[in-house]
Amino acid sequence: MAKTETFNAPAVTRSWLPPMDGGTAIMAALIGFMGFYVLYPLTLIVINSFNTATIAEPEVYGLDAWRKAFAEPGIWRSLWNSIKIGLVLQIVALPTGIFISWLLARTDIMFPNALEFGFWISFFLPGLATTFGWMLMLDPSTGLINSWLRQMPLLSGLNFDIYSFSGIVFVHLVSNGISTKVMLMTPAFRRMDASMEEASRMSGASAFTTLCRITVPALTPVIIVVFLLSVIRIFSSLETELLLGVPWGFYVYSTKIVDLARQEPPLVNQAAALGSIILLFLAIFIPLQRKLISRRQFTTVTGQFKPKIIELGIWRYPATAFVGLIIFILDVVPLLSVLGGSFMTRFGFFNLPKTWTLEYWRMALTDPRILQGLHNTLIVAVSAGVVGALFFSLIGYILVRTKLPGRGILDTICWLPSAIPGVLAGLGLLWMFLGTPIFRPFYGTIVLLVVAQVLGGITLATQILKANFVQLGKELEESSRMSGAGFWRTYLRIVFPLMAQTMVMVAVIKFMFAAQHNGAIILLATSETRTLSLLALDQVAAGYREVASITIIMITVLTLGVAIVARSFGLKVGIRAD
Amino acid sequence: MSFLRIQNLYKTFGGQVAAVNRINLDIAEGEFFTMLGSSGCGKTTTLRMVGGLEKPDSGAIFLGDQCLVAPEKNLFIKPEKRNMGMVFQSYALWPHMTVFENVAYPLKLRGIKGAEMSKKVEDVLALVGLAGLGERPAPALSGGQQQRVALARALVFSPKVLLLDEPLSNLDAQLREEMRRELKSLQQRVNITVIFVTHDQIEALSLSDRIAIMKFGVLEQVGTPEDVYFRPATPFVRDFLGKTFLLSGKVASANDQTISVDIQGSSSASLNLPRGKALTSATKSLTQGQSVTVAIRPEQVNLTSGRQDGRANMVEATLQTVQFLGDRYEYTVTLGTETRVLASPEQQSAKSGDRVYLELKPEGMTLWPSEK
Repeated sequence: MAKTETFNAPAVTRSWLPPMDGGTAIMAALIGFMGFYVLYPLTLIVINSFNTATIAEPEVYGLDAWRKAFAEPGIWRSLWNSIKIGLVLQIVALPTGIFISWLLARTDIMFPNALEFGFWISFFLPGLATTFGWMLMLDPSTGLINSWLRQMPLLSGLNFDIYSFSGIVFVHLVSNGISTKVMLMTPAFRRMDASMEEASRMSGASAFTTLCRITVPALTPVIIVVFLLSVIRIFSSLETELLLGVPWGFYVYSTKIVDLARQEPPLVNQAAALGSIILLFLAIFIPLQRKLISRRQFTTVTGQFKPKIIELGIWRYPATAFVGLIIFILDVVPLLSVLGGSFMTRFGFFNLPKTWTLEYWRMALTDPRILQGLHNTLIVAVSAGVVGALFFSLIGYILVRTKLPGRGILDTICWLPSAIPGVLAGLGLLWMFLGTPIFRPFYGTIVLLVVAQVLGGITLATQILKANFVQLGKELEESSRMSGAGFWRTYLRIVFPLMAQTMVMVAVIKFMFAAQHNGAIILLATSETRTLSLLALDQVAAGYREVASITIIMITVLTLGVAIVARSFGLKVGIRAD
Repeated sequence: MSFLRIQNLYKTFGGQVAAVNRINLDIAEGEFFTMLGSSGCGKTTTLRMVGGLEKPDSGAIFLGDQCLVAPEKNLFIKPEKRNMGMVFQSYALWPHMTVFENVAYPLKLRGIKGAEMSKKVEDVLALVGLAGLGERPAPALSGGQQQRVALARALVFSPKVLLLDEPLSNLDAQLREEMRRELKSLQQRVNITVIFVTHDQIEALSLSDRIAIMKFGVLEQVGTPEDVYFRPATPFVRDFLGKTFLLSGKVASANDQTISVDIQGSSSASLNLPRGKALTSATKSLTQGQSVTVAIRPEQVNLTSGRQDGRANMVEATLQTVQFLGDRYEYTVTLGTETRVLASPEQQSAKSGDRVYLELKPEGMTLWPSEK
C-alpha cells in the first residue's frame, strides 16, 4: 500500500499546476504577502488602541485610550449616528430599488435601456459630485431651490437644510443608495423564470398580487445579498458626512476617526479604540454575511429564457415619468449644478450684472495645487489600476484553476478589504508606515497612497477575474500543458492574452475607485501628495465653492468618463452566481 | 357542441413571421387534446393564447359560450379570470413556499380558507401521489415530485381546462414513461379537458383522444392517434410520426382494386398496393408512368436472405452493414443508389455485400406523389 502511494505521488502532483513544491511556495508567498498587506495594518489598530504613546514613539501599553474614548460621549454618538443613517437609508432605498428594478426588468415601461443607463451613470458618478451638486441646491441660505422657494408666494416658509440628518440621508439616497440596488437587482429580476409569475396569474392572482406574493419573495435571497452589501457600505461612507455633517458638529464614526487623528496633538490611540470597535463588529458580521451570501440561492433562473413582460396599461406613463424623475434627481441635477457652479460668477445668482464667467476656469487651470492634484490622482489611479489588474489576475487564476492547499485562506483574505472601511485601512497603514522603521522613509510620499488604493478594490477585482477564469475553457490551458508548456509559460502565453479584455476592465474599475474614494488616503496624504478628491474636500471646507466645482468636474470626467469608455468595451456590473 | 373553440387564431412576433397562422380547432369537453410539433411550430404559443398569457393579433377563443379573447372586439379576459390550470415546462414552483403553500395558493386567492382549504390540498396531493409531503420546501423535491406538485396546483381549484406545456420533457426517460401512464389515468379519473403540448410523438400517441400536428404555425392534420399514424394526410405528418421506409417508383398500372408500382433500382420488383388503403389525401388521381413514392413503416417490412417464390411484393436489395443493438439488429441496405436502414429482431445469415430481399406488407403501404 505504502509502495503504491509513493509511486503515485509524483504523478498526482504533476497534474496540478504548478508543480507541488513551486506551487506551495507561490501559495505561501501570496498568503504571506496578502496577509501582511491586509491583516497587519488591522492588527496594528487593535494593538495600538492599548498603546498610550503616539505613533513612532516607544509604546507605552495601557487602557488609557479606551478609557478616554469611552468617557467621551462623542464617540458613542458617532457610532450610533452611523447606524442610524444606515438604517433610515436602507428602509427607504431597498423598497424603492426593488420597485424600480421590477419596473425596468419585468414591465413594458418605456425606454427601459435608457433608464437603466441613467442608474448606471449614477452608480459611477463620484459621490463628491452628487453631494456637492445638491449642496449648491439645498444650502439653507444660498441654495438655488431654497431661493426659488422664498420667491414663491405660498411656499416662502419652506426651506430645506441639507446640513441635517435628513439632508445626509437624502444625499446618500441620490448618490448611491438607490442606484446600487437597481444596478444589482435588475439583472436578477430579468433572469427570473417568467413562468413562476405566469403560474401565479393562472392560479388567479392579479399582476400586483403576483409581484408582492411571488416575484419579490422568490427573489428574497438576491435582495438579502444586496441588503448585506449595502449595510457594509454604511461604514465606508466618508465624504458626504465630512461635507454635510462636520460643519454642524454631526459626526459619524469615520469622520470621528479622521477628526481624532487630525487633532493637535493627534488622538490616534482613541481613533484606534474606535476603529477596534468597528473591527469587532465586522469580525462578527463578515462571516455571517459570507455565509448568507454563499448559501444556495433559489433556482429562480432557468435555461429556458422567456422575456415575457407585464403590461402596465394606463400605468405605463406615470411609471416612466416616476423613474425618469428619479434619474433627473440622481444624475441631471447634480451634474448641472456642478457645471453651473463652475461657470457662474456666484452660483444661483442669475441677476448679477455678469452672471457667467470663465474666470474660475482660468484660475483653476493655472492653479499649481489643482495641477499637482491631477498629477497625483493620475499616478495613484493608474498605478492602482495596473498593479491591481496584473497582480490580482494571478491570485484569481490560482484560486480558480489550481488545487493548491490554502486557497480558502487566500480567498478569505481577498474578501476582507471589501468589508474594511477605507478610513480604517488608512489608519492601519498610517501606523504600519510610521511605526515600522524600514517603511518610515515612504511616509509622506505618494507610494503610500498607491499602496492604500491598490488594497481598496481587491475584492471586486478578484471576484470579476475569478468569474471570468471560471468561464474560460480549461481545455485551452490543458492543451498548452500537453504541448509542453509549463505553468508560467501557459499563464503568460495563453491565459494572459485571453484575459486581456477582462484585465483592462479590472484596471479601469480600480482606476475609478482610486480616483474617487478618499477614505483610505485621507490620513496618509500631505499637501504635496493630495489627490483631486482630497483637494476638493479641502476646497469645499474652505468655502471656495466655484473652484471646488471645477475640481469635482475633473474627477467626474476622470471616473465617469473612463467608465463610459469601459462600458463600450462591455463592462458589466451585477451579481455573479459563482 | 364544442367546449373550447379556436377561431382563425393569428399571432406574429415582431410582425414578420406568423407564429400561429389562422388556425381553427374545436375541442370537446373531457377530451385529451394534444398539439404536436417540433419546436417553433406555434403549439406553445397557441396554448399560451388559450391561457391568456399571450394575446393573439386576430381571431377568437371561446370557452363554452363565453368569448375569452377577440382582438377585433377589443375583448380580452385576463389569465387570472379564465379559471384554467396550467403546468409549465419548468414546473414554476415557487421556491419560497412549501409544497402545501404552493398548492394552497390558488385556493387562498379564491377565498377558500381553513379546514376546507386544507382538505382540498390534502385531497389533491393524495390524488397525485404526494400525500404527506406537504411540509417540504418545493425545491427539496425530485424532478418527478415537483412535476406532481405543479399538477396538483393546477388541479386544486377544479379548473375548467388543464393546460400542459411539455410537462414531461424535463424528466429522465424512465420517469417520463411512468408519469405518462399516471397522467392518463389521472385525466380519466378527474375527467377534465386537457390541452397538452409536446414534441414527443410517443406521449402524443399514447395519451391523446385527438392530436393536432402543427408545422410553421399551421395545422397539418387533426385526428385520432390511429388516424394520424396510419393515415397521415401530409408527407410531414407521415415522416414526423414514427419511422418511414420510402421507395421511389413509377405507376405501372392502376385499376379499381390495385395499383401496381415499379420500383426504381430493382429490375425485378413490382409492388401491388390495395387501392383503398394505399391512396392518401395527397394522391387523388394517378396516371400511368407517374413518379410516386411508396411509404411503409419499417416494422411492416420483412428482411430475408433468400428469395421466397410465390410471395408478392418482394424487393431486391444489397446488404451493406449489420449492427447489433441488443434487442434488435439494424440492417443497412442499398436499393440501386439509395440507402435504407431496417431493424429486425432476427439475425440473418447474410453478410455484407450479399443480396437480400425485402417483403413489404400490402396493407402497410401508402402512395405519395414523388418528392423531387
